[in-house]
Amino acid sequence: MLKVDNVSVSYGDMQVLWDVTFEVMEGELVALLGANGAGKTTILNTISGLLRPHSGNIYFLGKEITRIPAHRVAELGIAHVPEGRRLFPEMSVKENLEMGSLLPEAKKKRKETMEWVFSLFPILKEKQNQEAGTLSGGQQQMLAIGRGLMALPKLLMLDEPSLGLAPVLVNQVFEIVKEINRRGITVLLVEQNIMHALKMCTRAYVLENGRVTLHGIGTELLNNQHVKEAYLGI
Amino acid sequence: MSLFLQTIICGILLGAMYALIAIGMTLIMGVMKIINLAHGALVMVGMYITYFCFKEWGIDPYLGMFISMPALFLIGCLIQKYLINRLVEVDSILPENQVLLTVGIMLVLTETMRLIFKSDYRSVVTSYSTKTFFLGDISISIPMTFGFLIAMILTWLLHLFLTRTDLGRSIRATAQDRDAAIYMGVNASRITVITFGIGSALAAAGGSLLLPLFYLWPDIGHLFTAKAFIITILGGMGSTMGAILGGLTLGIAESLGATYISMGYKDVVGLIIFLLVLLFLPGGFRSFTRR
Ligand SMILES: Nc1ncnc2c1ncn2[C@@H]1O[C@H](COP(=O)(O)OP(=O)(O)OP(=O)(O)O)[C@@H](O)[C@H]1O
Ligand SMILES: [Mg+2]
Repeated sequence: MLKVDNVSVSYGDMQVLWDVTFEVMEGELVALLGANGAGKTTILNTISGLLRPHSGNIYFLGKEITRIPAHRVAELGIAHVPEGRRLFPEMSVKENLEMGSLLPEAKKKRKETMEWVFSLFPILKEKQNQEAGTLSGGQQQMLAIGRGLMALPKLLMLDEPSLGLAPVLVNQVFEIVKEINRRGITVLLVEQNIMHALKMCTRAYVLENGRVTLHGIGTELLNNQHVKEAYLGI
Repeated sequence: MSLFLQTIICGILLGAMYALIAIGMTLIMGVMKIINLAHGALVMVGMYITYFCFKEWGIDPYLGMFISMPALFLIGCLIQKYLINRLVEVDSILPENQVLLTVGIMLVLTETMRLIFKSDYRSVVTSYSTKTFFLGDISISIPMTFGFLIAMILTWLLHLFLTRTDLGRSIRATAQDRDAAIYMGVNASRITVITFGIGSALAAAGGSLLLPLFYLWPDIGHLFTAKAFIITILGGMGSTMGAILGGLTLGIAESLGATYISMGYKDVVGLIIFLLVLLFLPGGFRSFTRR
């Protein structure tokens, strides 16, 4: 479904991604793991068209999308739930969700999708008229995911949805991610919470200093010696 | 007492028209993150178009504004698309330098109008220019009341547009987080073009409403840039509600200055308020609501 092929990206003179290659198949929940500064967010922003690779290509549903304008990426069915949530802080919860469904297809089903999102996150329904900036961290994360779902995406990219959340909420967010995937939405999950992510994903890629160093089935990587030492501390 | 009341009412009427101009500036500032120093010049061009329609074809200024508004919408869109956005595409040009471009645009607009209309002072005299009506023993100017009402209606329509339509919400979203808006599929550069157009149309509207009250000459733009800037600072930058409050405050302050000090000092009062706000309330009125 999504194929990232030998992609290299730089910020000015500083190269941060080196020949990154990975693939996400339809229906999968693929985890992209790595430490701080490994380049995970950079990859997602490159897929979203905000950054341009200086070499390599990106394909989605068989079409090359490497150089299409950033605002056209959403049209293809890719929703990006960015790092740090990036909500519209002075808009209400409801307006944030509406912003998630601007494109014609999603707009037609706006009401139903919003009901679905409210059923996943009842707290959002309760606070629908409140400004997004006034929500707690956990609620903001739920809103960010909800806003992504409003687009009825084929592929949902989540950038560290568990970042900064209390442990109870972390579990809740991961449960929701699994639920979303069960509903048939393909998920690309970027995480530093390696243990959790490996347990729930179909496959995982490990990114180190801008290079993919390992990949495999989640449960297999859990037993990988390098993963154990470097990321799980065992 | 009735002189005081009359002064306050006059200030509110005037302030709503100023607010319209300032809302245009605020809208552009919100999305582009730059101060548009050509804003007053856009007001001035809008006034000339309305003036021209009146002079040549006898179109009443309150109708003429519906010609100058679309005209300025178009001019605004073109400026953003072919001048400002060209500069934004070049990474090495800092936003501060985009402000310089707006100064250049201001000069071009001002000198173009001087070329066409000369530097003469012009004014629009209609049958109702000096008419007033009485509320008890307070006399209220008819053109100011008209201007106030139309300004309020336009502000309200803009509010509906910004809160009820996807395009309006996309403008607010782009102002709050440009990249996030792009993730949602918003074509942010198209939004900047539309926003500059709307801001310019509002400038034209405000200018046209003030046309019966001000002498018109090419350099009057500076006056309106200053006013819009003061109001925007008063209102706390980037908030429509703030711009309305700021506009009313400036209108009332000027009106009080004109009545109790001297007509000639009315603009000075505005500047003094501006300095006081910068010194003691740098966040504008927003300092009261947000901390
Ligand atoms: N806008 C930028 N300009 C310059 N360098 C950047 C920029 N954004 C990120 N970098 C650098 O690129 C590298 C990769 O950053 P990136 O944000 O992709 O990492 P990450 O894996 O998402 O990290 P984290 O887990 O902290 O979110 C880092 O060394 C970072 O310092
Ligand atoms: Mg990151």
